[in-house]
Amino acid sequence: MRFTTWFSAKNYGHLQNIGLTVAACIGTTWLATPLLGYLDLANIVMLFLLNVLVVAVKLGRHPAILASVLSVLCFDFFFVPPRFSLAVSNIQYLITFLAMLVTALLTTHLMSVLAQKAQEALKREQQTQALYGLAKQLAGALAITQVKETVESFVKSQLLASALVLVVDDASGALHPIDTSEPETFDAHQAANAYERGTLLRHVDGASGGGEVWYLPIQTSVRPRGVLVVRLGASTSAETEASRPLLDALASLLAVALERLHYAQVAQDAEVQMLTERLRNSILSALSHDLRTPLTAMVGLADALFLIKPVLPEQALESAQALHEQGERLASMVDKLLDMARLNAGGVTLRREWQPLDEVVGTSIQLLRNALSKRFIDVRLDQDLPLLEFDAVLMERVLCNLLENAAKYSPPDTPIVLQAKTLGDWVEVSVIDQGPGFAEHQHDDLFKMFVRGHSEPGSSGMGMGLAICKTIVQAHGGTIDASSRSQGGGCVRFTLPKGNPPTIDDEAA
Amino acid sequence: MNTRAKVLIVEDEKQIRRFVRVAVEEEGCQVYEAETLKSGLSEAGTRQVDLLVLDLGLPDGDGIELIRELRVWSDAPVLILSARTQEQDKIDALDAGADDYLIKPFSVGELRARVRALLRRRNRQTESASPLVSFADVHMDLSRRLVTRAALEVHLTPLEYRLLSVLVAHPGKVLTQRFLLAEVWGPSHIERGHYLRVYVGRLRQKLEGDPTQPKHLLTETGVGYRFQP
Repeated sequence: MRFTTWFSAKNYGHLQNIGLTVAACIGTTWLATPLLGYLDLANIVMLFLLNVLVVAVKLGRHPAILASVLSVLCFDFFFVPPRFSLAVSNIQYLITFLAMLVTALLTTHLMSVLAQKAQEALKREQQTQALYGLAKQLAGALAITQVKETVESFVKSQLLASALVLVVDDASGALHPIDTSEPETFDAHQAANAYERGTLLRHVDGASGGGEVWYLPIQTSVRPRGVLVVRLGASTSAETEASRPLLDALASLLAVALERLHYAQVAQDAEVQMLTERLRNSILSALSHDLRTPLTAMVGLADALFLIKPVLPEQALESAQALHEQGERLASMVDKLLDMARLNAGGVTLRREWQPLDEVVGTSIQLLRNALSKRFIDVRLDQDLPLLEFDAVLMERVLCNLLENAAKYSPPDTPIVLQAKTLGDWVEVSVIDQGPGFAEHQHDDLFKMFVRGHSEPGSSGMGMGLAICKTIVQAHGGTIDASSRSQGGGCVRFTLPKGNPPTIDDEAA
Repeated sequence: MNTRAKVLIVEDEKQIRRFVRVAVEEEGCQVYEAETLKSGLSEAGTRQVDLLVLDLGLPDGDGIELIRELRVWSDAPVLILSARTQEQDKIDALDAGADDYLIKPFSVGELRARVRALLRRRNRQTESASPLVSFADVHMDLSRRLVTRAALEVHLTPLEYRLLSVLVAHPGKVLTQRFLLAEVWGPSHIERGHYLRVYVGRLRQKLEGDPTQPKHLLTETGVGYRFQP
């Protein structure tokens, strides 16, 4: 047994070195012998010193020590008088021997330190190259799974360890692996700790043979993005420590990559949203144009019949008038449909401005001049109503819808009241009619789409008016409801928040 | 005016051209028609028209471009016919130089009223410029900065007066909010819409019979204001 171990590779190399050392000493002796007549002993010593130096450089520490001892012996035996004996005649040669030994030892020590440093430098260079390669790969990564794979293979090849990248879920704030289907386990508690504290946590994992598990937070200047979990194999503490800078560099490269991907996604989402909005707007515009063009022609041509000379008979003119009115009704329905499409699909984009309520009340009533020609609208606005912030065009639609409904569902000779008053932090606007009011059970349904208050034959409007009002009022942060009044009649009421109106500077009048 | 006013209709839909022609001829004007932007522009030039009725949704280009090109060499009033209901399109057209707009569908009565109002401006421009303006029971003498109502002097603050004078200088024309704010308060104030609204409200209080239902200082919702004499 011992014989075979003796002849193992290491020992064989050892034997080889010893053999070479012996050969070198003998060689030097053989070389120096003919020079004995011409050279001083002091110079012959130099040759042996050279021999020791070469052995130290080439063969290492132990052969060098052997070489120095052998060189001293050879020198003593073959050159120092009396020749061919180990006695030393001059005690000075002891110093020579010592010097040779010290030289040998020093040289080999320096050589081994040099070799070690060279090896370290090589390793560092290799790591730097690997980091550079990693940085390039991360910079080019287009998906987070690529990042995960790059990091895992890097850690595997450089540190012979396994890595797991945990990212934080925006909604729940929980840390999870990038590929949620992976069964890899990690200590969620430790990971969360590392994430919150923003520092490295090291944990000895008894289960997998005593190697350490490191939890490195992945942090950018803005916010932490996750945790890198590295499961180091059992290794010496020195090696583990030496991995620290590499892992720190990895964590910061990873942070940059995750951040970049995040913002790329944000930009992409924003662009998609913008394109969708643009597409929707252009479709709605085209629809609007296509629906209104024939309507315009119809209404206009019906009107033009009145201008024909000689004047058409009474009946014909009545038909023309009816055509005109039907066309306008259709146009109003098209308006409501397109409104609803725009409001529903895109969410409401308000162009809010601070303005007095009475202006939009005036324009709404003006718009309905034809439909309400004989109705009396009693406008009762509080004297000191503040400026309110709202989108005039949309609020006009609300008021028109409410007034139209009131006119439709109440007797033509009854007044319609439009009133507005301040109530704490709100302004309340009500449209009150003296019609049949609203049935108790209908109150909530009324504001749903396509629900009509009363199914009267011949009444137009597809039941969208109130739904549109609700969408617009709610977008302004207000509320709307419908009720019947105790003294009869219906009341639709909506509120708008007062907010903080801007002041008007007084002029120097 | 001796000669009949020349009106050009630029609209691609034949049936709409037809009834607009009938309506405008009823106002005593000479009517020309064009179907496309290109022909519209060349007709406007060769005929030297006094009023343009222009559809914004022309197939061969944006009507706003035509307005801009026209405004380089002509200040003939432009009445827009628009099917789109987004306010920004109207504002853009008005800023480019249009004077008024009608939303499709519209009645012949409305059309004739707008045409009349815009042609009145043209007639007035060819007469000698007069500093006197009146509407309802209000009389203004711009040379003396005097405003009276039912023969009694009305006190207006400097900004109120300036706003009123800008409005009456463009009768029948829709003036955008941005334009009015820049003219009356200065270009740095174009974000302060509430000033404009409050001041118009004050003018209405002082000059209109029923301030809540104004007849002369009119609101064009979402766009601006218009003075109707």
